[in-house]
Amino acid sequence: MGNTTDKVKILTAFEGIANSRALATYQNHGGYEALKKALTMAPGDLIEIVKNSGIRGRGGAGFPAGLKWSFVPKAEGQKFLVCNNDEGEPGTFKDRYICELSPHMLIEGMAIAAYAIGAQKAYIYTRCEFYEEIAWLETAIKEAYSAGFLGKNIFGTAFSLEMDHYSGSGAYICGEETGLLSSLEGKKGQPKLKPPFPAVSGYLGKPTVVNNTETLASVPWIINNGADAYRAIGTEKAAGTKLFCISGPVQRPGVYELPLGYSFEKLLYEDAGGMLPGHTLKACIPGGASAPVLLPDELKGLTLDYESIAAKGSMLGSGAVMIIDTNTSMVRLMEIIANFFHHESCGQCTPCREGTGWIANIMHEIVSGHAKEEDVDRLAVIAKNMGGKTICALSDAAAMPTMAIVQKFGDELKAYIRKGKAS
Amino acid sequence: MTQQQATETLTFSLNNNEVTVPKGWTVMQAAAREGIKIPHFCWHPGLSIAGVCRFCMVKVEGRPKLEIACNLIATPGMQVTTETEEVKAAHKWALEFHLINHPLDCPICDQAGECSLQDYYMSVGKYKSEMTLKKVLKPKALDVGGDLVLDTERCILCSRCVRFEKEVTKTGALGIFDRGDRAIISIYDDKKISHNYTTNLVDICPVGAFTSKDFRFRKRVWFLKDIDTTCPGCSTGCQVKLYSKPEERRYYRIKPRFSETNGHWMCDEGRHLYAHMNPEKRQRTAFTPKQDNERGSKEQRVRADIRDALAFLKLKMAKYAPSDIALLVSSQLTNEEYKKTFAYFVTFLGVKKVFAWRDSAENIEAFDGLLNRGDKNPNTKGHAASLEAVGLPPVVSKSGFADAMASGAKFFIAIAPENTQGFVSSFDDQLKQLSAAGDVALFTSQAEHAKNPAFDLVVPLKCFGEKSGTFLNAQNMESKLAEKPFFPLNDQVKDLVEITALLQEN
Amino acid sequence: MSVFSESIVTKINGYLGRYETKRSSILPILHELQDEYGWIKPEHLKGLSEEFGLPEVQVNEVATFYSMYRLEEPKKYRVLFCDNIVCHMMGADSAMAKIRHMIEDFEKKTGKPSPVSLQGVPCLGVCDGAPAMLVNKDRFLKVTEHNVQEIVSRYLDEASA
Repeated sequence: MGNTTDKVKILTAFEGIANSRALATYQNHGGYEALKKALTMAPGDLIEIVKNSGIRGRGGAGFPAGLKWSFVPKAEGQKFLVCNNDEGEPGTFKDRYICELSPHMLIEGMAIAAYAIGAQKAYIYTRCEFYEEIAWLETAIKEAYSAGFLGKNIFGTAFSLEMDHYSGSGAYICGEETGLLSSLEGKKGQPKLKPPFPAVSGYLGKPTVVNNTETLASVPWIINNGADAYRAIGTEKAAGTKLFCISGPVQRPGVYELPLGYSFEKLLYEDAGGMLPGHTLKACIPGGASAPVLLPDELKGLTLDYESIAAKGSMLGSGAVMIIDTNTSMVRLMEIIANFFHHESCGQCTPCREGTGWIANIMHEIVSGHAKEEDVDRLAVIAKNMGGKTICALSDAAAMPTMAIVQKFGDELKAYIRKGKAS
Repeated sequence: MTQQQATETLTFSLNNNEVTVPKGWTVMQAAAREGIKIPHFCWHPGLSIAGVCRFCMVKVEGRPKLEIACNLIATPGMQVTTETEEVKAAHKWALEFHLINHPLDCPICDQAGECSLQDYYMSVGKYKSEMTLKKVLKPKALDVGGDLVLDTERCILCSRCVRFEKEVTKTGALGIFDRGDRAIISIYDDKKISHNYTTNLVDICPVGAFTSKDFRFRKRVWFLKDIDTTCPGCSTGCQVKLYSKPEERRYYRIKPRFSETNGHWMCDEGRHLYAHMNPEKRQRTAFTPKQDNERGSKEQRVRADIRDALAFLKLKMAKYAPSDIALLVSSQLTNEEYKKTFAYFVTFLGVKKVFAWRDSAENIEAFDGLLNRGDKNPNTKGHAASLEAVGLPPVVSKSGFADAMASGAKFFIAIAPENTQGFVSSFDDQLKQLSAAGDVALFTSQAEHAKNPAFDLVVPLKCFGEKSGTFLNAQNMESKLAEKPFFPLNDQVKDLVEITALLQEN
Repeated sequence: MSVFSESIVTKINGYLGRYETKRSSILPILHELQDEYGWIKPEHLKGLSEEFGLPEVQVNEVATFYSMYRLEEPKKYRVLFCDNIVCHMMGADSAMAKIRHMIEDFEKKTGKPSPVSLQGVPCLGVCDGAPAMLVNKDRFLKVTEHNVQEIVSRYLDEASA
C-alpha cells in the first residue's frame, strides 16, 4: 500500500474540461454516482471505508478524516456537517481551485459525509473575499437541489439533507474549526474551549463534523474506487493525493495535485518550472505562514508528506509551498508574518493576544531601526512561551515561524539591526 | 442533582495526595476545596468556564502539554501536580503576558492591595519584565452605569464581567468589541448597565478595571478591617463582609461572601447599608425631658447618659397601666434582642399591645428572582417566632403602626428600624404621627429619626455592624451577625440585649 | 418608521428565519446592509435591535470583530491589496506605493477627495496570481507597479470626468 507516487487526477479531474462547474458536465463524467452508491450502504460501512482509505484532514492538521467521523455519537438527533472553505492560511489557494473547477464534487462529498455521520444539515463556510467562488457554490447548491441530490429523500431513499452557504467576513481564525462554528452561530469567530470536541458538542452544541473542502471533495472518488485504491496512492502514513499550492518567484506558480510523498524538488523544478530567471532559492515555507521556514539544505531530498516535513522541524500544513528568493529580506518577511498573526489573533487567550502584539511591536522596532540585537533573542523567548498554551493553535502558528526565523536567520536580523544603528 | 449522583465520587492524585471528589469536578474545584492555590484570573466559581487567561496551568502525568485546571475534569487515578518547574515557568509567563499592556498605575488604583495582578506578582512572578516597548492605550474612566467606573486599559479581558452580565443578571449589557490586543470590554454606545447587581462586577474584576463610584478614591484597602456578618437590607440575609476603619468608627463598604443563601453575589441596595452607621448619621446620646433644675437649656429635652434615660423610662412606665403601653418594634432586631425585649416588656411588665413597626406599603412577597426581596427587614421570621414564644399572635407580615395608633395606648415605646432605605412608604410621616400621639420613648440608631424635639425620651441604639446575634431569613435559614463585631460608636449606644439588662438592674 | 428600506427589511426577515437560530443571521445581515448602504451605520445597529430584536452588543461584537465590515463611511472604490508573504515577494510594496502616489496626485490636481482608498489586507488566497488585489468585489491578479496605473486610473478618471 501507499507505493504509488505517480500522478493521479482526483481533485483536478475536471482540469481542461469545458464548462466544468455545470451539473450536466459533472454528471456526464459520473458525477453523483458515488452518492447513489453510498446511499445503498450502511453509514458505519462508509465511515470504515473512509477510515481505511487513510485520508487525513487537508486543512492543515492532518487528522484522520474517518476517525473524526467515527467520533460522532451514533444516537439519533440533530447533527451537522460543516465544510471549512475559509481558506485563509497565507500561501493557500487550493480550496478556491476546487470551487472554480468542480463545486459539485464538493457537494457530492458533503452529501456522502452527511449521510455517514447522520447529519440532516450541511453548511459550506467560505471567506467572503471569494466573491465569485461563493456565487459558483450557491449556483451548484441550487442545481443539486433541483436535480434531487439535495433536499428530501435523495435518490428515493429515507435520507434527506439540507445545505446552505455561509460567508465569513475577514477573520483568519474562522479557519480554526471551532472558531468557524462560533462564527456560524453568528458570534465572533472565537475558538471554543475543548473538551468538549465538536463531534460531541459543535454547532449550537450539537454533534458536528467540520472538514476541509479538499478532504470532502476527495470522498466521491474514494467511494467510487474504494479505500484500497486510495491507499495505493501516496505513502504508508500519508495516503492519497494532495493539492499543493506553489507560489513565489517560480516559473509556473499554481495548484498541483500530487501524490503525498512527492519530491519537493520535482514540484519546484519540474512542475513549477524552477525559479524565475535571476532569482535564487533562499528558503521555503512548506505549509502556509504558520509552518517553520526550511533552508535549501533542508529541502534537498525532501518529500512532500506529513512525516518527512515534520522530520525537518516544519509541517505540511495546508500544502502551501511558498518559495523565498535571495532578494527577499527575512527581516521584512518576519515583520509581515508577525503583523499577520497580530492582526488575526482573536484576542481570547492572553498569551496569544499579548504575545502576537509584542512580537509585531519588536519587529516594527527592528525594521524602523530602533531595536537592539538582544531583541532578536527576545523574539524567540516570547514565541517559546506562547506555544502550547492556548485554546487553539493560532498562538503556536505565530510562535513556530518566529522561532524558526530567529534560529535560521538570526544573523540576518542582527546584521540589519547593526546596520540600522551604524547609519 | 440526585442523591445518587451526589454520592458518586472518584479519587485522583493532587500534588501526591489522594483526593476524593464528586464525579464531574474539575481539578480547579478540587484544588480550591483542598486549599491548594492555582493562580487564575478568568475562572470564577459562580460563572461558566471561559478558559482564556491560560494562567491555571498544571501538569498531568503522561500528557505532553500542560493543561488548564479550570477545564480539566478529574478522572480516576489522574496524577496532577501544580508546582513543577515547568508549571512555575508557565505561571510566570502567563502573568508577564497579562502585565505587558497593563498600565501599572497601582498608586492611583483603588484595587491596589486586593489586586490579583499584584498578589500573583508576589506569589508566582517576581521577575524583571522583558517588555520594553510602548503599551497599547485604551479608553479610561468610563461611566458605564450603575455604581461602575470602567478603565479598559487596566482590563485583562478575563471576561468575568461579560459572563456575569450574560449568565447572572441575563442583561448582556457588556461585550468585548474588536479583536486581538485591540479588544475592549464595553457597553454599546450609551446603553448603560442598569440593574441592582452592578457592584458585583467590581468584586469579580480581578484587577482595577471596574471600580465602584461609591468607594473610588475613598480609602486604601489596607487601612480597612472586615468582619463577617449578614446584610440587614432584606429578608434574604446575604452573607457579607463589612469593612470599616475602626479608629474612625467609619464604615466604607459591604461585599458579599459565599454562602448557600446568596451564592457569590449581593445587590447594590445592600451594598449601601453601611452609610447609616457612620458617625454623622447616628444618634449618639440619649435624650430626657428637661427637668426644672436644668435652667440653662432652651430645649425641652437634654442630652443624658443612657442609664439615666433608662431609669427615667422605668419611672415613666410605672405611671401607666400595662394596657396603656404600646410596644412598636421593627423587624430588624436579632432573635436574641427580641427574646430579651419581649421577656422584659411582655412577660415581665405585662405589655400586650405589641405591634410590628414596618413599611406600611411594602410588598412582602416581592422577589427579583435573584436575591432582593420586597421585605426590607432581615428578621421578619425571627420577629414572628419570638412573638409566638411569648404567647402573642405572630403577625408581623404587615405594619402594625396604624393599629398601634388606634390601640388606645397612651405611651408608646417605639423601637425604630435602623434601615429604612428600601421602604416604599414615608417613614418620616410615621415619625410625625408618633410624635403627635402622646408620650413616646423612641429607641433609634438614627439621628434623623430623633431630630424632632418633641421626642424628649430617646435611647440610642447600636447598628448591625456593632452587634452580634442571629436573624431568620425568608427561607427559614438562620444567619449570624459578627461574633466579634466592630467597636461601637461610643459607650452610649446599646443593643436591646444590653438595654433590657440595664432595665432589669435594681 | 424603519431605518431600512422595504427591500432590505424583506431580506433581513429572510435571514432571520433561514438558520437554526436568529443570531446566526447577524453576519449575513451585516453583509447585506453593507452591500446596500456601503457601510454599517450606527443607526443600523439601533434598528436591528429595536425592529428585529438583535441586541446591539451582540451585533457590535460581530461588526467590530470581523475586518471586512466597514463601520465608517467608505470611499466609492476600495482597493484591498494583499500585503502578505507571497504578494510582498512579488512586488506588492511598490504597486501599493504607486497607488498611494496616484491617490495623492489626484487629490492635488483636482482638489477633490479621492474616490479610491487603499488598504493592505491579509492573503486573498490567490497567491498564484500574486500580487493580488480587490477593488470592491472585483479581483485583479499580477498587479505590479507597471500595470497598476492602468487599472486604478479607471476608477480615478471616472470621478474626475
